[in-house]
Amino acid sequence: MKITAFTQLITVLAVTTWVFLLPVPAVAIILVLELALLLYIKHDRLTMAAIGALTVFTGMMILLQLIFGSPLSVSLTGGLRMFVMTTAFLCLLAATKIQDIAQALVEKFHLPCEYAFMLTTALRFVPDFLTDSATTLDAQSCRGYSNRGNVFKRFYSYLAVVKPLVMRAVAKSDTLALSMELKGFGANTYQNMTPQRLCFADYLVLFLVMLLSLYPLWSKYI
Amino acid sequence: MIEAKAVNFAYHRGEPVINDITCKIEDGEFVALLGHNGSGKTTLSRLFMALVHPRSGDIFVDGDNIEKLEPADLAHQVGYVFQNPDLQILEDTVFAEVAYGPRCKKLSETAIKEQVQAALQAMGLENLADAYPRTLSFGQKRRLGVAAALALNPRTLILDEITNGQDEQEKDDMMDYLQKLNKEKRITIILITHDMNIARQYAKRAIVLNDGNLVFDGTTQDLYNGVRDLKEWGLTQPIMAILSAAFIISAPTVEDFCEKLCLKEGGER
Repeated sequence: MKITAFTQLITVLAVTTWVFLLPVPAVAIILVLELALLLYIKHDRLTMAAIGALTVFTGMMILLQLIFGSPLSVSLTGGLRMFVMTTAFLCLLAATKIQDIAQALVEKFHLPCEYAFMLTTALRFVPDFLTDSATTLDAQSCRGYSNRGNVFKRFYSYLAVVKPLVMRAVAKSDTLALSMELKGFGANTYQNMTPQRLCFADYLVLFLVMLLSLYPLWSKYI
Repeated sequence: MIEAKAVNFAYHRGEPVINDITCKIEDGEFVALLGHNGSGKTTLSRLFMALVHPRSGDIFVDGDNIEKLEPADLAHQVGYVFQNPDLQILEDTVFAEVAYGPRCKKLSETAIKEQVQAALQAMGLENLADAYPRTLSFGQKRRLGVAAALALNPRTLILDEITNGQDEQEKDDMMDYLQKLNKEKRITIILITHDMNIARQYAKRAIVLNDGNLVFDGTTQDLYNGVRDLKEWGLTQPIMAILSAAFIISAPTVEDFCEKLCLKEGGER
């Protein structure tokens, strides 16, 4: 059963809303379903690493809230909500090509294609940026850079990695802009792509999403 | 001196990249590290620089095990020049760029000035000391990378695909500077390259890796004898090696070959 990027985006937005409307047990059930779905879509090392990193980040968020005086229950709920929202986006990115997301944003949400392209390009740059960052760190280490010392010292010395990366990113975006212009970007972008038509599965998912979205209101007022 | 003893390595519990490699590179050698893409050349050099550490086995630099060391600790012993010079340019002048390493080592300003000037001179960049590094030509940027590594006075230089993306003149210039460093300052050069001509012309020793295994360790003369089949290792004999073998003329360059061929045939140039 294949659903379009439009339906997936709507579902993700709905999940983002549900985490604030639904009670904690329901949010926890969503989390379990999301994790199962994510691991069904992709169960490689990268996905496991992403889940691991997200878990660590959530733990840190909870800890910070506790340090700043929030009660344990509030901290845990906040962490859970953040985890569920982020996992929904991870599912979206694992299941859908970035181009499809961009196309859905332009076609269905009427986002100007330049902005959609900017979004997808930014996402596409992330792995490149991470590779460059690792290479720069290695290159500077080989000529004496070390991140030993206190936080301020580390922060200051990390500029040796950040500065070449920024310059590189600027140069890359310049090259990309030029090459896109030369290819005629903006003339009829996304106009010549096959339109994403909704099928039965999409309508079914959208109906379920609507039903679940209305449930809290129905249970409260009717 | 760099020595690897029964070194094994794999990235992230994946397939082994380096399999039980043992080799020793003595001071003052000019070594070409060869192999097809993915053969493990760069990984082996990264092991030498402590950028990664072996799963098993040991690496010694100047007799010391580098197991617990970081690249910054080794920078004054081994210099590593990466493929892409743009990824490390940090400062606004060539001088400051080269001085980054000595400054990290907290040397005195006098010592920094001396070492930077010596490094710039060694790579023919002394006239560009005040230039903005990003405006240099690609070849000059590569030389800047070498100068930045040299500024810490290392006894070994590891150069990853140093001649890539350069025109013939820039390649020759770079290799001449490296040869000079090797001959005059006895700096050990470990050259990772796909350029068989350069390896044959400049390196005395070749180490060939194939799928993480060391398959050849000997003289470049022996490797490039013109008749050895190197295809199974993803390499080819340089044209000059094949010609030299066919005409039984030992000549490192085209010019030498032509000259010797003319003499052999009794002709004049």
